[in-house]
Amino acid sequence: MISNWIRNLLRGLSVTSMVFVFQACYGTPQDMKYDMYIEGVVKARATGDPIQGIRVSLTETDQYEFTDDRGVFSFYTDIATSYPILFEDEDGGQNGAFMTRDTVLDPENYTIFFEIALDRE
Amino acid sequence: MFEYFKNKLFRRFKNNEANIHELNYLFWECTMRCNLNCLHCGSDCSKNSSSDDMPLEDFLSALDTIEPKSDNFMVVLTGGEPLMRKDIEQCGREIRKHGARWSMVTNGYLYDQEKHNALLNAGMGALTISLDGLEESHNWLRNNKNSFARADNAISLARSSTRLNFDVVTCVNRKNIEELPLIYNYLLSKSVKAWRLFTIIPIGRAANNPELILTDQQFTEMLGFISRTRKLKTIDIKFSCEGYVGKFESKVRDSGFFCRAGINIGSVLIDGSISACPNIDRSFIQGNIYSDNLFEVWNKKFQMFRDRKWTKTGQCAGCKDYTDCQGNGMHLWHGDKENVLVCHNEKISN
Repeated sequence: MISNWIRNLLRGLSVTSMVFVFQACYGTPQDMKYDMYIEGVVKARATGDPIQGIRVSLTETDQYEFTDDRGVFSFYTDIATSYPILFEDEDGGQNGAFMTRDTVLDPENYTIFFEIALDRE
Repeated sequence: MFEYFKNKLFRRFKNNEANIHELNYLFWECTMRCNLNCLHCGSDCSKNSSSDDMPLEDFLSALDTIEPKSDNFMVVLTGGEPLMRKDIEQCGREIRKHGARWSMVTNGYLYDQEKHNALLNAGMGALTISLDGLEESHNWLRNNKNSFARADNAISLARSSTRLNFDVVTCVNRKNIEELPLIYNYLLSKSVKAWRLFTIIPIGRAANNPELILTDQQFTEMLGFISRTRKLKTIDIKFSCEGYVGKFESKVRDSGFFCRAGINIGSVLIDGSISACPNIDRSFIQGNIYSDNLFEVWNKKFQMFRDRKWTKTGQCAGCKDYTDCQGNGMHLWHGDKENVLVCHNEKISN
């Protein structure tokens, strides 16, 4: 308890504030925790079945992910005020042919779960 | 006067940190396989390592013992070369699901656009890429004619992400010491923001290669270079936490020397051994995740790391800087532990 009190006191003193952000020998810098988790399911609008192989892109970054056999995708990405996302069927008719769709998500906390439906071509 | 009180406060802070010993930083030596065959490798990794990769589930079980995790707790994937694991993204995702953040140290050889994307998707938050010189000297040390080009590409990719906290590390040796200003210019041209410099200590493959070990004069020149470059404020350059450097202490780092091995830093090694930094001599192993509870070991053992009076032996016994240095870095104690392997402060004084 006393040790923690002293620690907090030292934390407040600028002469040692940097020592709380450290790296180990041959380790990495600290993760600055600047990310958001987005997870979703892509389904066919007509049947409600999950669609595999849809490329889901965050259009304001280079990040993308493909949906799995449950239609699920997920990624961590930078914190932003909104997330424009593009859904594209890139495997032709392999898992059915679907039209491209985009949407914009507005984050309310650090995790987003959502479902989206695509129309058949 | 200010320096006097600052140092006194800092010593008090270090003692306090040792008493609290909050686990903030856990290395996971997830593979011993490596795609390079570097001249200076301290762990003698190879493509055909005899050690199997540790199954992810085994590490996760150990990770789950750490409860509660501290606010800034993170797992650092290391090796070997972590990207040799085919399931590296899955490892990252599962570590996040188990309540921890993660980062990785890489030689960059396998770090391409696709891997970059997959690792970001999996929640990687920080990255360190090794770059040991310009093309010729990097390829020489890394023992591979393509390694510079691959590391260069990895740096470009890492730099393109605003989410990654990323730095470059350089092992300074006799071949690249003269190149430091050129490496600096190169890093500026790549918009790299943070650069950490190491020296190579005579262990592993480096033990029998004098070309890798700086002379005392070169070592002092390197610290001078770091000190001068820090004043320019163009890049966050620093000397690593590998050792105490006396009069250069306030000039080459953000804070004074503090070896946090076993105080804030732990590791799970490839065979399940529990230790502090992975480059610390295996004789310091404190337990094994396959027979012990990781967090119990962290909380109840590690005495040699938290009370370093035992290091006051050999040349450290009569050293006037011992109070600030406390036996230098823990990775510099080997075998019979009768003397420290390298005294950085002595190199400066010579």
